[in-house]
Amino acid sequence: MLVVSAIITGLGLGSMYGLLALGFHVTYAVSATVNFAQGSSMMLGAVFAYTFAVRLGWPIAPAAAMALALCALYGVIVELLAVRPFARRGSNAWLMATVALGIVVDNAVLFTFGKEPRGFNMPWATGSIPVFGIGVSPLQLLIPAAGVALAGALHFYWRRTRGGKAMLAVVQNPEAARLMGINVPRVISGAFALSTVFAGAAGILIAPLFNVHSDMGTVFGLKAFAVAILGGITSAWGVMIAGVVFGVVEALITALLGSTYTQILSFALVIVVLAAMPNGMFGRAEVKKV
Amino acid sequence: MKALPWVTLAACFAAAIAFTSVANDYYVFVMATLALTAMVGIGLNILLGLSGQVSFGHVGFYAIGAYTVAILMVRLKLGFWIALPAAIALSALTGALLALPALRVRGPYLAMVTIAFGFVVEHSIVEWEDVTGGQNGIMGVPKPLFLGEPLTERDIALGAIVLVALLLVAFSRLSRSSWGASMRAVKDSEVAAESVGLNPIAIKTLAFTLSAACAGLAGALFSPLSGFVTPSSFAFLQSILFVLVVIVGGAGTVSGPLIGAAIVVLLPEVLAGLAEYRLLFFGALMLGVLWIAPEGIVGEVLRWVRRRREAVRSTTSAGALPGALRAQAALEVDGLTIAFGGVQAATGVAFKALPGAVTSLIGPNGAGKTTVLNMLGGFYRPDAGRVKLGARAIEGAPAWRIARAGLARSYQTSQLFGSMSVLENLVIASPERAGTQQAAESLLAFVGYRGDLYARAADLPHVDRRLVEIARALATRPAVLLLDEPAAGLSREDKAALARLMRRIADAGVAVLLVEHDMEIVMGISDHVVVLDAGTPIAAGTPQAIQQDPAVRSAYLGEDQGRPAARRGAAAPAGPGLLDVGRLEAGYGAEPVLKGIDLRVATGELVAVLGANGAGKSTLMRALAGLHRPVRGEIALEGENLTRLPTHRVVASGVVLVPEGRQVFPELSVLDNIRLGAHLRDELSEADVESMFERFPRLRERSAQRAGLLSGGEQQMLAIARGLMAKPKLLLLDEPSLGLAPTIIRQLFAALDRLRDDAVTILLVDQMAGLALALADRAYVIDGGRITAQGSAEEIAARGALEKAYLATG
Amino acid sequence: MQSAWTRRSILAAAAAATLCTALPALAAEPIKIGLVTALSGQSARAGEAITRGLTIAIDELNASGGVLGRKFELVRRDDEATPAKGVIAARELVFKEKVAVLFGGLDTPVSLAIVPIMNQAKVPFIGPWAAGTPITKNGANPNFVFRVSAVDEIVDKAMLQYAQKNFGTKKPGLILINNPWGASNEKGLRAAMKAKGVTPAGIEKMENNDVDVVPQLTRLKQAGADTLFMVGNVGPSAQVVKSLDRMGWDVPVVSHWGPAGGRFTELAGPNAKKVHFVQTYSFYGNQRPVGQKVMKMLMAKYPDIKGPDDVTPAVGVANAYDAMHLVALAIKNAGSTDGPKIREGFFKIGTYDGLIKAYDKPFSPEVHDAITENDYVWTQFIDNKIVPVGMVK
Repeated sequence: MLVVSAIITGLGLGSMYGLLALGFHVTYAVSATVNFAQGSSMMLGAVFAYTFAVRLGWPIAPAAAMALALCALYGVIVELLAVRPFARRGSNAWLMATVALGIVVDNAVLFTFGKEPRGFNMPWATGSIPVFGIGVSPLQLLIPAAGVALAGALHFYWRRTRGGKAMLAVVQNPEAARLMGINVPRVISGAFALSTVFAGAAGILIAPLFNVHSDMGTVFGLKAFAVAILGGITSAWGVMIAGVVFGVVEALITALLGSTYTQILSFALVIVVLAAMPNGMFGRAEVKKV
Repeated sequence: MKALPWVTLAACFAAAIAFTSVANDYYVFVMATLALTAMVGIGLNILLGLSGQVSFGHVGFYAIGAYTVAILMVRLKLGFWIALPAAIALSALTGALLALPALRVRGPYLAMVTIAFGFVVEHSIVEWEDVTGGQNGIMGVPKPLFLGEPLTERDIALGAIVLVALLLVAFSRLSRSSWGASMRAVKDSEVAAESVGLNPIAIKTLAFTLSAACAGLAGALFSPLSGFVTPSSFAFLQSILFVLVVIVGGAGTVSGPLIGAAIVVLLPEVLAGLAEYRLLFFGALMLGVLWIAPEGIVGEVLRWVRRRREAVRSTTSAGALPGALRAQAALEVDGLTIAFGGVQAATGVAFKALPGAVTSLIGPNGAGKTTVLNMLGGFYRPDAGRVKLGARAIEGAPAWRIARAGLARSYQTSQLFGSMSVLENLVIASPERAGTQQAAESLLAFVGYRGDLYARAADLPHVDRRLVEIARALATRPAVLLLDEPAAGLSREDKAALARLMRRIADAGVAVLLVEHDMEIVMGISDHVVVLDAGTPIAAGTPQAIQQDPAVRSAYLGEDQGRPAARRGAAAPAGPGLLDVGRLEAGYGAEPVLKGIDLRVATGELVAVLGANGAGKSTLMRALAGLHRPVRGEIALEGENLTRLPTHRVVASGVVLVPEGRQVFPELSVLDNIRLGAHLRDELSEADVESMFERFPRLRERSAQRAGLLSGGEQQMLAIARGLMAKPKLLLLDEPSLGLAPTIIRQLFAALDRLRDDAVTILLVDQMAGLALALADRAYVIDGGRITAQGSAEEIAARGALEKAYLATG
Repeated sequence: MQSAWTRRSILAAAAAATLCTALPALAAEPIKIGLVTALSGQSARAGEAITRGLTIAIDELNASGGVLGRKFELVRRDDEATPAKGVIAARELVFKEKVAVLFGGLDTPVSLAIVPIMNQAKVPFIGPWAAGTPITKNGANPNFVFRVSAVDEIVDKAMLQYAQKNFGTKKPGLILINNPWGASNEKGLRAAMKAKGVTPAGIEKMENNDVDVVPQLTRLKQAGADTLFMVGNVGPSAQVVKSLDRMGWDVPVVSHWGPAGGRFTELAGPNAKKVHFVQTYSFYGNQRPVGQKVMKMLMAKYPDIKGPDDVTPAVGVANAYDAMHLVALAIKNAGSTDGPKIREGFFKIGTYDGLIKAYDKPFSPEVHDAITENDYVWTQFIDNKIVPVGMVK
């Protein structure tokens, strides 16, 4: 029972880490840069959805859609303000710039949205259904499903649509992609939008289980980065799987050894795994060329 | 002038000490915090600025230093002067240990390892309650006793400021020492560092250790200064602030971390009155600083100063190769074989490079020449075969060992240590890592470098990079020197000088192994020539013998491969011009590669551009396709000016390049590759795809396969089909026959012939001059970035200018 | 035309601004009151509550002419919930701004780090929130630290006592936030349990951002816990209730005052009412005149406050309000803003009819905590309102 409940907990959290990590993967694959403040993107998704659905009373579907659209816009802004000016000059100061922008956004939300955590109560999220004799929130089942669905949607987008294939082309060979007439800067900008949409979706999904406040994303963003790296940031399915594995391992450590060891062991595992597999669990080694 | 920064710094420190001596307790504490932050920053700068490794876990070392002192002083009642060295030693040791996993990873993976390290330290402190006091930390850390009296906060602050000054001096000395230079060499180019005999693992471990020691020192002072330690003082955000200190100040600069620390510590104090809005403004201001100075404040200032500096030139005159050589030794290669993912890149390569002789390794593009050099230099481990340097077997040894054994090399794309000066590049390469400036200067004179001795290598013009790279290789005092296409992109005069230089090096007793496309050089200076084709040696002998060898002629000129029916071409384009190129100039860095190209292509024509490697053909194609920007001069398509358009707009206006090396999207299916070609067309007609399959039936069979699995010839067909899908007005073909087997080349040219019949306008660049001319209506010959001949295909073929350009005959 | 108008309005604004800053300067120098607390991040709301309690009290005092003919002025600094920042901020306020007294925030470690500085500088330090026992019992003599707030040690005893009396607790399980506050209560609860000969079923920790505490709670359940002692801010506390709901585990929960930090019912759902938690004050129910007055002032000053629902966390407002009035009395007794004299002034306070209670000689050289265990009220959340336990069935 302990193990089963831990696995269910881990699956829900892990898929959410996976979604956030997928966001890291998308931008890294296309541009070798990431938004280090991905947690802020997640928080924005939840805050926007709360604002529309609860404060303005919209039905959840348009509220979530609108929130994701705003997230996409935020992704474009991140790339424009905190990544492009540096990446263009070959400087790695985007590392710091995205963090700084995240601080600005977190604090701006603190003063506009409010300082109190708010409950995002959705009727379909509360209640408990028995699974293997354990009470589970419907949302805990929905999150892994939504995670897989979104990863699948990404897969479909990449494999079946023109825009998606253009993005894949940029991933595989930016120069040849330009020769196809693909506007590479726009694709990178689009990748950041997509990345932020994934983070926003994770935020909206987790909000009813959790709560909504300006600081809610920080820890998740960090763990998601660990997951992205563990999975091998170059592999989409790799980061998704790593997310689930990380979530389940974390919950199992808590359940079996006690919460005292959760943080130490999970981060120590990160170091050990990376020392053994320097390109993550599913990442590909870069070919050394002279 | 040179002392000015030091005078300014000394004045700053004097002012800081004077201020701290009289200021109130608040300012004293701020100054102390500033000094401690600067200490961590200086340490992190060793890692980030010198060795190029990032750490988002430095707060871990800081915490280890602080807790060691707190535990030893409070729990064990030991004195500060025992606790301090213990804290530094423990931090340094942890740093060395962290280097073990950290060295295996790079980029974001390294960032994550260090982040995880910081968290492990923080949470270990929280959970190891008996020793660390858990969440509540350790209170009441006493002040250090000095001559029996406890030091005040003011004393500690003053001491910390003095320590920062000492650390700055130490950093400056380290940075200029051979170890510091080695770190910067590893940062600039790990490959080149190994090839001058540096061991990156030892160097990076040292950087981690020193860096951790500095952070530990700062932590050790933090404990008695604040009087307490709690885990919340060592949170992840603090690590980010440490990195910010280095980046905002300017990574790699001496005073950067000082300026960075001043900003990161003082700015929040200035903003303190904003209360809850402080972080908001801090974030926004940081973003602003990064925008203004992405290389850090000191970095930007230095860049500005550098631009204003007077050049320093050597007065040493050229003479014989200076410095004692090692014992002469021959390089013997036998049965060298390697395969990449099932593709045989080199098979049974065998030759001997003798001391005092120039041995050349030649062959068409993709023949495996650089692969052989990489095996000799230790960057690839051969699957089979032996390499002997003198009596010593060196195959499979790491690159830095091979370099120390006496084998030096230069690279196709220059691998100088870009952030270091010309002199430093040479000094670090000498076997004792601290060669004298004198020796370096005379080597530079020997290779004919006349430029600024203190210029950053990254800022050098192309020809000087080549010379400095050769000089650096010579600085290792090699027995064998490998040169990978040293003449590529050089002017005629520079090439001639280079040829003389190589001869002089050989005459000094070095065994020179040359990979070069310029046949005039190869044939002019070689004692022995080895020809590779498709990874296999096909001929060896004197230059004269090689020039007459039929196998070589076939491999190079594509002769006797069955010409398609020649078409009668006109000497001047018939009909209206589709593409007009006028006075086109383009280049990399200071040196132009294209020096005023005039060229016209009329609708329906097939025009060939011929010339030796490095003549500028590919640069021309890239310039036309918009990949190479900026360019000067004019590129007009039906009167529309393309010179300022980015690639995707050039494609939209109807010029499509099928690039050198195919460049298909390997993970996408063949069908997807073809469809991507029509990316800009709104309607994607399946009929167009069908017509491509009719044109290239092999692609239909493979349409569902991943493009990366296709053979070279199939990939080339795919690349052409992909290009045609855009319905271009002008198709640019860059080296379509590169690396393909003769039968495949024949099929390919037959397909191109059909394209010509379908009235597709084509501009073709190909090594296989015979085939290209057989296909073309007209041709241009490029040499040294200029058009040296033009006319109908027959005229060009008849002139014999080509053979001269390609094989340097006659 | 437009630019002329703009220029004139800027000039007018500048003149007004000069006038505003010049006027108070004509009167006597104001008495500066410092506050170092978390104003950003997760605890921003708590810092705001303290700010509001102090501001209301200062407005009230200033309206009646201030003390010693001088008005009060509040100077705030953000400590970002870290001791290192708090220590610098405290030094700035004491040595640069020269505040007469300094108020602390909600984080025990920050306050603990500030205490030695204040005792050394001989400036009174008043805690309106942080409950760590050693803050006031710091061993310094003379001790300049005072508190108008709960004390963990006492709360922990009260929690055990309440649980044993109302739920017949034999084997409690502890679920604690993994921060210094949780650690302080782990110590206090262990001591309280040891004194009563109770052995806990287990002690589990949770993080601020734990979404699901089912694994920890399952461990406690399997260890046979019959009651939960909960210490955590409102967010994690709500996660505990939601996790209990999912597990279908109906167990009494006795809690420190964390749930009062926000809209607990909204966050935790209807079963929020199962949690019984300690409070120093509640704005709900029948209020004494002081309570009605303060509520009115809060609604007038802060447009976002429409009723008791919006006064969260109420303890922060209430403790700060009373503490500020006690400080004013101490300064009045001292007849000066000199630190040691103010300290003596605290001991001379007779009676004061405050919000939390009618204080009668709240401080003495031995007693630096104005709130005693008799002042705690046990409350529960019903429909987002904090009501004393038993008032609503």
